Amino acid sequence: MTFTIVSLLPGTQNTNGDAQNATVLERRAEWAGIAARTVLVERAAELPAEIDAIVLGSGSDASLVRSRDTLRTMHDELRRWGTEGVPILGIGTGWELLSWGIEHRDGSAIEGLGILPGRAVPRDGRVTGDAVVATARFGQLVGFENHARDYVGAEASPLGRLRAGEGNGRASGQEGVVMGSVIGTHLHGPVLAKNPAFADALLRIMAERRGIAYEPGERAATVDGYAAAARAAQLRAAGIEVDPAA
Amino acid sequence: MRYAPAIAVGKLVRIAARLRKPGGGSAIPGLIVNRIAPGYLKRTLSGFPQGLVVVSGSSGKSTTTKMLVAILRAHDVSIFTNPSTANISQGLTSALLEQADWRGRVPGDVAVLEMDEGHGALVMQGVDARVVALTNVMVDQIDRFHDSEMVAGMLARIAARAGEAVVLNADDAYLERLAARVAPGVAVHRFGVSAAVLAAAPRGLGNTETSERRLDPADGVVVERVDGASAVLLDDGVEHPTGLPARGIHYAVDAAAAYATARAVLGERFSADAAVAALSSIPPVFGRGERVRIRDQDVDFVLVQNPASYQLNIDAIPVGTEQILFAIGSDVRDPSYFWPVDASSLDRVSIVSGSKAAEAALMLTYDGVEIDRIETDLGRALDDFLAAPAPARGVKTIVFTADSMRRTRAHLGLTEAE
Ligand SMILES: [Zn+2]
Repeated sequence: MTFTIVSLLPGTQNTNGDAQNATVLERRAEWAGIAARTVLVERAAELPAEIDAIVLGSGSDASLVRSRDTLRTMHDELRRWGTEGVPILGIGTGWELLSWGIEHRDGSAIEGLGILPGRAVPRDGRVTGDAVVATARFGQLVGFENHARDYVGAEASPLGRLRAGEGNGRASGQEGVVMGSVIGTHLHGPVLAKNPAFADALLRIMAERRGIAYEPGERAATVDGYAAAARAAQLRAAGIEVDPAA
Repeated sequence: MRYAPAIAVGKLVRIAARLRKPGGGSAIPGLIVNRIAPGYLKRTLSGFPQGLVVVSGSSGKSTTTKMLVAILRAHDVSIFTNPSTANISQGLTSALLEQADWRGRVPGDVAVLEMDEGHGALVMQGVDARVVALTNVMVDQIDRFHDSEMVAGMLARIAARAGEAVVLNADDAYLERLAARVAPGVAVHRFGVSAAVLAAAPRGLGNTETSERRLDPADGVVVERVDGASAVLLDDGVEHPTGLPARGIHYAVDAAAAYATARAVLGERFSADAAVAALSSIPPVFGRGERVRIRDQDVDFVLVQNPASYQLNIDAIPVGTEQILFAIGSDVRDPSYFWPVDASSLDRVSIVSGSKAAEAALMLTYDGVEIDRIETDLGRALDDFLAAPAPARGVKTIVFTADSMRRTRAHLGLTEAE
C-alpha cells in the first residue's frame, strides 16, 4: 500500500510554497512507516486512478481563468473524491476556484467548481500578516495570510474561529471553510508543516480510508519541536499569549 | 551652482559620518541632500553627457551591472555607477555625493545604475534614461510586491523612462509582453538562451513565466552553449566564446544581457572582442557571495535574496560540502515563498541560526536535510561554527539572508561588501 498524494497545478498554483504541503504529508507518512508518493498533476490525463489526498495551492490572479478551465476538465473526479472523503486542501486562490465563484470589483465574476460552499468577494485593500485560528478538529492553526478578497457563505461551516488576522473578513470572525474532508483556507505556505496536528488529522483520515492505522513516527517528534518553536515565535508576533498545551 | 550649498552640507555630513564610523558610508548624507535640494538626484542622473543606463529586474541585476560596467570601461568610456547596496534614492544620492565636486557635478560619460524594481519606479520619476535593461520577473519578497503582475508593472514604469532603447530577456514572458507596449521610436533589443541551453537547465530559468519560443539568433544575442564557467554567445551569426565569473547558466544570461546592453549603448563603437575580453576578465565569484578569509580559514558567503537566487545558489554549493551554517533573519517576514526551492542537495547543515531559525529548520527538514544544531543566537552560532575543526573537504559555507549577512559582517568586524 502506498499513499498517493496529488499536488494539483503546481506550475501555476504555488506562489507561496503551498504545493509543498503534499511533501509534508508524504514525509510524515514515511516517518510513520507508510510508503507515500507525490504526483504532480497539470492535466486531467495525469490524474492517478486511485488517490489519498489532494493539495491545490494559490496562484496569481492572472492565471485564475486558465487554472479554472484546467480544473473543470477534472471536475467529475474532484467532486467524486470530495464526496468519498478524500482530503482535499485548497489554499488561497486554489480554494477560491473550488468555491461557487470569485467576484471582482468591476462586477465581473469567475465561476468556480462549486465543490465548496460560498464565494470570494472583493475587500478593501490586501491583507498580509499573521493569522491564528482555533479549530475543533485540527487544534489551533498558526500561519500567514495574504489575500485581496474576503469570503462569504462559509458561515455555517467555517474551518475555525479567528484569534488573530482577518480570515474570511466582513467581521465574520471566521476563517476558511470545511465540507467533510474538503478544506479551504487563506493560511498559505506550508501550513501542514507549521501545524503538525492538522497534518496528522488528514493522515488519519487517509489511513482510515485504507483500513490502516497512522501514528506519527519518531522523526516527527524532532521536527514538530521545530514547528512548536516557529509557532511560538509567530504567536508572540501576533500578540497572543503562548499556551504550551496548544 | 544652484546645488552648491546642499552639496556642501551633504559632503560635510558624509565626512562627519565617516569620522564617527570608519568605513561606514551611510545613506544619511543622501537623505539630507534629497530633503534640502529635492531636484538634485533627478537633474544629476539626467545630466551625464552620454546618458543614463538603468539595469533592473528581479534577479541578476547586480552581476549584469558589474559586467556592463566592465565592458563599457574596456571601450574607454568613463562610468559613474552605484554600489548595489545603494539603489534607493538616498543611497543613490549618497553615492553621487561620493564622486561629486563641490558644485555637485559628478565625473563620467555614462551613468550605469542598478535599480531595485520596487524603488526604481519611484526614483525614475522624471529621470530620463537612454537605455533600460531588464533581466527577469520573479516573485521577489511577497510581502512587498504580492505578485508577478505587480513586479511586471513596476518594471514597465522603469522601462517607460527609456528614450532610446529597451534591452530585455526574451525568455521572460512578462518582459516580452512589456516589449509590445514600448513607446514608438524606442528600439527593443533582446537576449536569450538557445533551446539546448534551456534543455540542460535542471530547473529551468527561474522566470515566473518562461516564453514558449526561444529567441531567433537573427533577433538578438543568444547564449548558444554553457560549459561550466564558460559560454558561447551568438551575435549576428558569429560565435563569441567568453569566460564567466562562475559556473552556471544564469551567469551566461547575465553576460548576454550585459553584452546586448553595451552594444545598444555604444552603437558603432561596440567591439565584440573587447566585450568578451572584458567579460572573461571579471574576477570569479562564489555563489552570489564571496570567499572570505576569517580567523585563518576560508569561508564562502552565499546570499539568498529571493527564491530564484536561493535555488541557483543552493545548486552551486558543491555536493558533499561538510560544514554549512544556514541563517534566516527578520528581513524574511514570511519564509513560505522559499518552500518551493529544493535544498535536498545540502544533505546536512551543521547549524541553523537567525531569528527565523525554527522556520528555516522546518523547511530544510522537509527537504530531507539533516540538522545538527539550532542556535538562534547568530553570534554564538558563528563563533562555534568558525571554531569547529576544518572540514576534510570543501570550504565552510554560510548561507544567509540580507539581514543575517549584515549581522554576520558586524559580528566578524568585516566592512560592508559592494
Ligand atoms: Zn499574493
